[in-house]
Amino acid sequence: MELNETQLDAMKELGNIGASHAATSLSTMLMSEIEMTVPEARIVDIADISEYFGDEISALVVFEIQGELHPGGYVVLHLPKKSAIRLTNTMLGSTDMDREFNEMDESALLEVGNIMVSQFLDATATLLGIVMLPSPPAIAIDMAHAAFANVVSMVAVDINQIILFRTELKSKMHDIESTIVMLPDEGTLEQILKILEDLVKSPQ
Amino acid sequence: MTDKPPATKGVNVGIGEYHIGQSLMTSIGLGSCVALILHDNKHSMGAVAHIMLPESNGKKERPGKFADTAIPTLYAELLKQGSNKRDITAKIAGGSSMFKQFKGNLDIGGRNVEAIKKALEEYRIPLVAEDVGGNVGRSITYDPAKKGIISVRRADGTCIDI
Repeated sequence: MELNETQLDAMKELGNIGASHAATSLSTMLMSEIEMTVPEARIVDIADISEYFGDEISALVVFEIQGELHPGGYVVLHLPKKSAIRLTNTMLGSTDMDREFNEMDESALLEVGNIMVSQFLDATATLLGIVMLPSPPAIAIDMAHAAFANVVSMVAVDINQIILFRTELKSKMHDIESTIVMLPDEGTLEQILKILEDLVKSPQ
Repeated sequence: MTDKPPATKGVNVGIGEYHIGQSLMTSIGLGSCVALILHDNKHSMGAVAHIMLPESNGKKERPGKFADTAIPTLYAELLKQGSNKRDITAKIAGGSSMFKQFKGNLDIGGRNVEAIKKALEEYRIPLVAEDVGGNVGRSITYDPAKKGIISVRRADGTCIDI
């Protein structure tokens, strides 16, 4: 799988639109400003995945992309454990940092993920003129690379390189770091690129 | 997500890769993936594969990636390096179901473990130890010089030797 510069740029722009909508919803939920990095698009060999995700215990909320593209791939919201606890503390009105994850945290994170990823996919799909919806979420609290590899094994049956789109979203006020990662299925990526190409070509 | 971790001693076997030799080997970030270790105690030599999926369906370019291609490949390579069939034993670690919402066909970890056990039986390689299943991620370290002992570090902070 190879993407040229133009295609990577187009995908970054798409990721940018999705991530800004996700950032806005996070900003509303936390009532704080959210800083967003420039989206990154990267081709990663499956053998090197552990180099991009460390072994820090993290919360990974995972959604399958459903709708017109099938199979669509996955969108993952990743928060290191401390950030995840700060986030749910902010939402649930607690200040106890020194605690383990409980069911309340999990359901709060599922809900935050749901809101952010729905916004992400909706903005992306609107631009493309197609329907993309998140599946019900799944969550793991574990070493980030192990949990992410678990998601990768669901898309990388026939391929050995994956394309990762990632954007970091940070709240300075609450000291929360999060990352949204889109992992499109190979077929989905091709379709998205085709739509983007047609969009650029068509007279405005 | 972090930058490259500091270089550790030994060879890290990434997803879908395998390594054979007498030096220290590691495999980090095992979620639904399974580390398969074939150890030859007589020659203090062994092989590690970081298996991602149960079936190759005929794909041959990365034999370490699939249970049904990793076992014959590692076994044949060890025999080529001078191992005797009777000296080779197997250990496995990993294969968890990290997302409790993924069930059935999506429980790749459980399917990996099942496929590996089946293939080991076919090749009559004794499985002498395992730390599989559950819902935690793992990382392993294998030193062929130390009688095939595998240290398993689990995401919950516990470490065990198998």
